[in-house]
Amino acid sequence: MSVEMNTISDHIRAVQQADSSQAMLDATSALASYNHGERANGEAIACLVEVLGFNNPGAAVAAVDGLIRLGPVAVQPILESLDPRNYGARAWAVRALAGIGDVRGLELLEEALASDVGPSVRRAAACGLGSLRLEALEPQPHAAVRQRALAALLAGCRDGEWVVRYAVSVGLESLGLRLEPQPQEHQQLLEALAALGQPELEDTVVVRLRARLAHQRLQPMPPAEAQARSTIMSEAQP
Amino acid sequence: MAPASSIPAAQPLPGDGEADGNGEPISEGEALARLRQCADQSHQYYAAWWLGRNRSRHPEAVPLLITALQQRRPRDPLAGVEENAVARNAARALGKLGDPAAIPELLAALDDEDDGLREAAARSLGELAAIDAVAVLLRRLASGPAGAGATRPDSPRLQEPCEAMLEALGAIGVAGCDVIAVIEPFTGHERPLIRSAACRALLQLSGEARWADPLVQLLDHPQLQVRRAALMDLGAVGWRPALEPICRTLAENSLKLIALRGLVEQGEQHDASIKAEVVLSAMDSLL
Repeated sequence: MSVEMNTISDHIRAVQQADSSQAMLDATSALASYNHGERANGEAIACLVEVLGFNNPGAAVAAVDGLIRLGPVAVQPILESLDPRNYGARAWAVRALAGIGDVRGLELLEEALASDVGPSVRRAAACGLGSLRLEALEPQPHAAVRQRALAALLAGCRDGEWVVRYAVSVGLESLGLRLEPQPQEHQQLLEALAALGQPELEDTVVVRLRARLAHQRLQPMPPAEAQARSTIMSEAQP
Repeated sequence: MAPASSIPAAQPLPGDGEADGNGEPISEGEALARLRQCADQSHQYYAAWWLGRNRSRHPEAVPLLITALQQRRPRDPLAGVEENAVARNAARALGKLGDPAAIPELLAALDDEDDGLREAAARSLGELAAIDAVAVLLRRLASGPAGAGATRPDSPRLQEPCEAMLEALGAIGVAGCDVIAVIEPFTGHERPLIRSAACRALLQLSGEARWADPLVQLLDHPQLQVRRAALMDLGAVGWRPALEPICRTLAENSLKLIALRGLVEQGEQHDASIKAEVVLSAMDSLL
């Protein structure tokens, strides 16, 4: 045990003492890929969370990857660290929570998709809302979380940036695939994807193609219709 | 999620959100009124940008922007360049609105003294696919890397806005021998961004894979700015064989997604053996 603790302490110290942005990136990558085994180290999590606020994008990417690998145990420290005055740190926290998929991140993901100024943050939030881990929830909270995620994604269909609408299509697909939701929810989801697939309503070709692919994957079809639809991907010219 | 090799920035990126200076929300009517008046040029500047950004379809938008483009003056460093700032934004907006009525005035701007205005006009003529611009662009680039592509004695800028002009030739799409002959020497320009623009144009015009190789190599360039340009150039062409190298590039996922969008939307003409679904699945993993 002492050897392991020394090693991880060394990694944490290396991050704390990094004196250049490259040294910070290297130390964070090493700490993030450290094999924590069964017991996740609170200090290591705190250190990775702190890196999110350092305005060092390379190191922040590594820290996000490390926090996602740590999973649910990192969620509470991330939520507690949120600082409304540090936009950068918050954006990285959204990405980490989207990747972990823990339902405790729901509120932050909803907020981020609805109103974050950065399309790259809204896009991460849309994916995260589609892949929240609901398996362990009781039926009642399961339904509540599912409905909130769906409502957030449906509103995201009207985002001004194509890449966010693309991510919303992907989010709707993963939500639809994993949930076997109520018929009404399933219908809403399919209607939203159908709208994103129409040239009259969606002007970006790649969004239309992705939405139609999602729609096709969510809707089981008789073979004859399936064949007719296999031509949907041919609309490649704008 | 983002692989460790990529660098999505937390701050708004190029193409990541609004880029206006004094960006309070205004209506289309307000934008037209601001462009129509002449007393406050910062209002005109913002209005011209607004009309382009919002793809205004109002019948007065294009005539007002053409008038704003005509407001330019011979360059006088002592007199302030506000009119030219308005003219440049008007030129950019006219490219986005897609109305060929703007072509004659943009052509005239290609011979303006202000290279910033020539740059904006060249890009817009490319967006409008204005075949009439080819002859002027060729004339201005004909002196090659040592002439049009030479660095100015008084600034780091080149004699001509070569990057914009080369990209415009590629976008317009006239693939004559004379066009190729003027573009090709720029593939040996000392600046990687100019080489990238030249290869992009040649790849668009000829579809020959030999022009893709230098672009793919630039994805490994030590400077992030060059890697970003090569990503955008491969995306603009829609060169699907570059799918894997694009995904591996050390740059923001936001830019890779824009490049891959190009591979989906423009790519079928080059290599249909890589299916759109494959590119879409690569995009999914960059979100």
